[in-house]
Amino acid sequence: GSCRVSMSITEIRSGFNTIKANIQARDPIRTLSILSYPHSLHKVKSSDRCCVSHQLFTFYMDKVFRHCRTEDSYINRKISSIANSFLSVRRSLQQCQEQNKCVCGQESTEKLKQVLVNYEELNVTAAAMKSLGELDILLDWMEKES
Amino acid sequence: EDALLPAPQNISILSTNMKHFLTWSPVIVQGETVRYSVEFQGEYEREYANESWIPISECSLMAATECNITDDISATVAYNLRVRANAGTRRSEWGTLTGFFNRITTSLTPPLMKVIADGYHLLVELEDMGPAFQFCVLYWKKGQESRMQQKMVKEVNSVVHLDTMEAGLDYCVKAQAYVEAINRSSSFSQTQCVRAQGGTSLWL
Repeated sequence: GSCRVSMSITEIRSGFNTIKANIQARDPIRTLSILSYPHSLHKVKSSDRCCVSHQLFTFYMDKVFRHCRTEDSYINRKISSIANSFLSVRRSLQQCQEQNKCVCGQESTEKLKQVLVNYEELNVTAAAMKSLGELDILLDWMEKES
Repeated sequence: EDALLPAPQNISILSTNMKHFLTWSPVIVQGETVRYSVEFQGEYEREYANESWIPISECSLMAATECNITDDISATVAYNLRVRANAGTRRSEWGTLTGFFNRITTSLTPPLMKVIADGYHLLVELEDMGPAFQFCVLYWKKGQESRMQQKMVKEVNSVVHLDTMEAGLDYCVKAQAYVEAINRSSSFSQTQCVRAQGGTSLWL
């Protein structure tokens, strides 16, 4: 069955846009992408969308937001807003997964493994900051597919 | 360290139309100005970030007893909030809001609305309630409530055209606000009815 998740991408995107330049400026390594190497998210089959979304939201909750604390209170507040929104959405995705509506195919499982490989190429803070800087790649993919 | 100040009391939330304010009673210290600092903690901070608290810079060491927390309460999860008093070098323990605050509980009021008959055109002007708001507008010919029509309005930057009216008939309109982020609607506004303003003669 299909998985229906209520998510205000506009709200998350507006929060991200206010800190995007600052976050991306903290990422000196432009030759590597966490989410888009070697293949774009847009190659993910639509049947796998729920599972990939769930896994990527879990990735951001477990491995990204907690390593992105900065010296800037405003940035930290915006990251908190995004993280709490992600938590809310992941809860809905979790329900879909528990109802078996969120199954990953082989290709998508490979894609998610590659994201983790890309992440582990860098030290934790650099990888987390780069992943956060790529949030619009994830939001674009989710918005385009919704 | 100096004697502690009493912690702020009567901490509560005023939340209307997705605008959220934390308020508390003033701490009185004779001859001194008392200032307050506010912090918040979302569900993410409790579950993933060692229950950390985040200061709201606009509400740090301020004299007012109210803090606009709207920008920080931007997810539909349970938030903790706390406030502390400071006077000179002295400061109080944290006073914490009793229970969580989730923006899903915000109270929603019906939108202000102005219905306009511009010749034979039925138009409506809606209050700008903020980016989180959409509107459901219902309109019908008076006496024909069963044939009500609906229009969803996502942005209110201009007057909305609803229908072209027949001469001599009254048209009625009512509207409600809808917030997608919390999937809730306000009650409907008062119904307003108008009649087409067109003249009787017709050039052929």
